[in-house]
Amino acid sequence: MSLFARRPWTRWAVPASALALVAAGTVAASTSATADPTLPERTPAQLLVDIQSAKVTGLSGTVVQTADLGLPSISIPGAKKGSADLSSTIMGTHTWRVWYAGDTKARLALLGQGSESDIIRNGTDVWMWSSTTKTATHYTVPANFGPKKDAGAITAPRIAEGLATPLPSSPQDAADKALALLDPSTEVTAPGTTTVAGRAAYQLVLTPRAKESLVASVRIAVDAETKVPLRVQVMSTRIATPAFEVGFSAVDFGTPDDHTFTFTPPPGTTVEEGTSPLAGAGDKSGAVGKGVNPMVPGENPRLPATPGSQPPVPGMPGVPAMPGVPAGLAMPSISGTGWATVIVATMPKSSPSTSTDAAPDARPAAGPNPLEIIQGAMTPVSGSWGSGRVLEGTIFTAIITDDGRMAIGAVGSDTLQGALAAGPIARPAE
Amino acid sequence: MSAADAPTVRPGVAPLHRAPRGISTRLFRSELALIGGRRRNQMGLLVLAAIPIIMAIATKMTATDRRRGGDLLSSMTSNGLFVPLAALLVEMTMFLPLAIAMLSGDAIAGEANIGTLRYLLTVPVSRTRLLLVKYASLCFGALWGVLTVAVPGAIIGIALFGFGDMPTLSGTTLSGGAAIGRFALVIVYLTTCLAALAAVGLFISTLTEQPIAAAVAVMIFVIVSWILDGVPQLDWLHDWLLVDRWLAFQDFLRDPIAWHDISQGLFVNGLYAVVFWLLAWARFAGKDVTS
Repeated sequence: MSLFARRPWTRWAVPASALALVAAGTVAASTSATADPTLPERTPAQLLVDIQSAKVTGLSGTVVQTADLGLPSISIPGAKKGSADLSSTIMGTHTWRVWYAGDTKARLALLGQGSESDIIRNGTDVWMWSSTTKTATHYTVPANFGPKKDAGAITAPRIAEGLATPLPSSPQDAADKALALLDPSTEVTAPGTTTVAGRAAYQLVLTPRAKESLVASVRIAVDAETKVPLRVQVMSTRIATPAFEVGFSAVDFGTPDDHTFTFTPPPGTTVEEGTSPLAGAGDKSGAVGKGVNPMVPGENPRLPATPGSQPPVPGMPGVPAMPGVPAGLAMPSISGTGWATVIVATMPKSSPSTSTDAAPDARPAAGPNPLEIIQGAMTPVSGSWGSGRVLEGTIFTAIITDDGRMAIGAVGSDTLQGALAAGPIARPAE
Repeated sequence: MSAADAPTVRPGVAPLHRAPRGISTRLFRSELALIGGRRRNQMGLLVLAAIPIIMAIATKMTATDRRRGGDLLSSMTSNGLFVPLAALLVEMTMFLPLAIAMLSGDAIAGEANIGTLRYLLTVPVSRTRLLLVKYASLCFGALWGVLTVAVPGAIIGIALFGFGDMPTLSGTTLSGGAAIGRFALVIVYLTTCLAALAAVGLFISTLTEQPIAAAVAVMIFVIVSWILDGVPQLDWLHDWLLVDRWLAFQDFLRDPIAWHDISQGLFVNGLYAVVFWLLAWARFAGKDVTS
């Protein structure tokens, strides 16, 4: 105290050191949270086997998803942070809470600022709840629906699943086959470890060999203990931060209580009986049935149970284009291979602005059409192939030509233009 | 003695001159009496309490389309407790911070402005303790403000819309007792938010002798924080803005409670409270008080 009395300015050191203490503590905490733990080495093949044979009886956690796809910032209603509209998940940051207890019990909650959308599955009942519209939609699914798929979804990333054909005889076999299939286009490495949600994890990194690919790498963090994928990051060659990331920010592998999965529509709720869109969703196309709830255009069948089962990564082999690539396109032509695949297609003549959505009628009628806004924000471009507009995202590029063609791929604009120049002359759709 | 000469200005302080020994709550009680006795504060409390009442009555009169709007406002008709919650949501952005800004402006700068600060310092109480008492009374004022919204809101809400099982944002329902528990948690959480702002206000209040200037500065701090919080390019900063998790009190209305944002909010609140109180201490303990 006497020092403070003699030199009053020294008092300011107290708040300053308090601040410094907190800053140091925060840095230390975040460093230890991201520090690379020391784990026994695993090869990529071993990791793929691990992922496939992972068995989880239950988990609960928080999943944070961020997308920086380089789309023009448009006012998709609720596209900002913290919207609970299930159709707004293509942009920005979103937080999910997930609960999982065996194959027939799962719950997903998309948190918004003061709102929430839930999907709850309990046996044969599936409820979709929206706090915004105060609507609960009930679907019935077959009792045996999904276990296999769900198990696959939670134990293996789609890549391995999709590539492991013909039927592998063992997980090891499947992993080897997957690696063999991947190898020409992709370098698969397990460079080290990381920490996700406070858990030690292995990194499995897929690096495209194609130089023109906009995808720098896909990084999958696999929990060292349970072998569950904890995080998937898609890195772009254009930005330093992940273009797309979905991962646990907190996870607990205890089985959640049963009451987490019980849902009774609260009083005052509009209850709708949905004709099950999930019944036809066993395939990977994500096709949408007619009775789909309008709040989830085309998205619900492939809602992820874990980060590992996210919608197919754009540009991934076997899934060459962006989700939402036009369903009504006439005879798309494909050029390039693997990561550098370019799709050139003729757009239906009718309304080009809606043709790029798989389920245009499922979008809420109100509000501006995001596609139109995107088109308006695209940059004019021209070349030997003609002229059009280009949208350069962080992991994909799309060109819509004035004569009604469209080229899209996880490559730069020049590659797309090359494909357009080499591609078939546009013909009116028949 | 001087304060006793001016009883209209500091009516509660006079006894302190006679009983300075030991740990006494007199200074604290005197502060509370001072805060509660100011006419402008009473008017402010009336405004705070009026908002939920207006909202409840307006909703009661026009409650036709309960599906419109997705937030607490549209839930009001389903349970009376949503009235104070919706009112807190509305007032937390501006009115409640304004109340704290006024109180903290009065705390030091106001005393300096009307010349009572130097008399207050003649009380044989260390400046540090005086500052602690000032801050404690501001924290109490924060609770006071939140309760002024919550209690009348709950009364009018339950009177108009009834009370019973409360639907959560997650689509489940809480029993009445659990709902009151969640409501109490919301009140506590928002009080900590405003108490953290009060620390900022206390510091600003030590910098000036103009209570209005201090109050305005606190409001500028709040508004700038909201603006920064709305700029997506600054998302690295958002976690450290005081206001960022204020509205996370709605996470108490999920089932189960989503603690992540709330705990981050509590951490930031505590951080601001400690750092700004220490700043106020550094400034005030060495300050020349001339008026």
